[in-house]
Amino acid sequence: MDPSTELGIDPSLKKKKKKKIDIDSMLSGGGGGGSQSASGEGVERSVSFLEPEEAQSKQEGGQSELLESLESFGLKKKKKTKKPTSAAEVDEPLIVVIPEENEDSEIGLDFGVKKKKKNKVLIGDDEDQQIVEDAPDMVINSDDEQSSEGLPTIRTVTSEKSWLTSDRDYTYEELLTRVFEIMHAKNPEMASGTKQKFVMRPPQVLRVGTKKTSFVNFMEICKMLHRHQKHLLDFLLSELGTSGSIDGNNQLIIKGKFQQKQIENVLRRYIKEYVTCHTCRSPNTILQKDSRIFFLQCEACGSRCSVASIKHGFQAVTSKRAAIRAKAT
Amino acid sequence: MSIQNLNTFDPFADAIKGSEEGVQDGFVHIRIQQRNGRKTLTTVQGLSSEYDLKKIVRACKKEFACNGTVVEHPEYGEVLQLQGDQRENICQWLTKTGLAKPDQLKVHGF
Repeated sequence: MDPSTELGIDPSLKKKKKKKIDIDSMLSGGGGGGSQSASGEGVERSVSFLEPEEAQSKQEGGQSELLESLESFGLKKKKKTKKPTSAAEVDEPLIVVIPEENEDSEIGLDFGVKKKKKNKVLIGDDEDQQIVEDAPDMVINSDDEQSSEGLPTIRTVTSEKSWLTSDRDYTYEELLTRVFEIMHAKNPEMASGTKQKFVMRPPQVLRVGTKKTSFVNFMEICKMLHRHQKHLLDFLLSELGTSGSIDGNNQLIIKGKFQQKQIENVLRRYIKEYVTCHTCRSPNTILQKDSRIFFLQCEACGSRCSVASIKHGFQAVTSKRAAIRAKAT
Repeated sequence: MSIQNLNTFDPFADAIKGSEEGVQDGFVHIRIQQRNGRKTLTTVQGLSSEYDLKKIVRACKKEFACNGTVVEHPEYGEVLQLQGDQRENICQWLTKTGLAKPDQLKVHGF
């Protein structure tokens, strides 16, 4: 019993490594974009969340066959559920990319959480599991460069053949490779790395005198985002808590000293809230006003949701009070 | 090892949790405003009126080594004002003391 299970364990560990490598190499082959790395994280996470059960099977391996069979069923079920999720994860980021925002899609996060919960229910003591989990990860990361070339391909070939000839149960690795093959077949864009990317031109920000800042390509950015300049202007000024106006050359003059980085941050927040679709993160959206509320209509997925209105909020008095009083009288 | 389906499920878990939450409702807006030169001002709007803002500002002033006041505003109620860029500090402090949860904080500005 014991030796056999141990034998069963070691390959599982190796398999894990190979899986990881597959994913990594796939991702690197797909070209590292901002959002792609995010989607990759999603995939990797789901994989890493699947691992503890194997690790657990390793720990409790000597107990009974029933347990093992149960776990293997669990694994299979996971795989079946995983197919659609991974497909969804693949689909979404292909359409949308926001530059430098490495946030996971909400769907991916949800799945991650669910899986985590399941694992926690299954696992008796988490801390030990964590250690077991962490250790192979480290090994994998260090081994990535060395072993990624030759081994995985051989593995996949052998596994496919064995799976066709015999009528035994599928192993984890076989199903995983199959999932990725299907993914690649159905989404050739992902493999070739040609993704529709949402690239923003950086805002050109210049200092005008000592107290004012000029946002040179403000109009251009408005046009790129397909938003009214008034809306973006409102947002910028309320976020920065200053006043400003558009001058004759279609530049935006903002009161106060601001750097390009700071304006970029605010723009990024604007894009996240008012440009990209909240459901599918596509930038292909229209902002409509319906009875005082702004709605974001997505052209890609057809979803429609309301967005927060721009509020200036509390503004403290920063100028000289005497000057204000003089103006009032 | 346990089977998830056989676990007991408390249907009122959420309700109990809800009553335990603090009095803070809605967002806390943390803004920054530029003054003359390199000086800035941090405003904290939307803290629940159940809290004693004067005590909060006293604690903040001591913690961040800055000056600050409570300003009464007809629309937004009592608003905290702190000197300097205290956005990070106030976020950490509010979550640490449990006055507001991290998802209730909304930081504006650059």
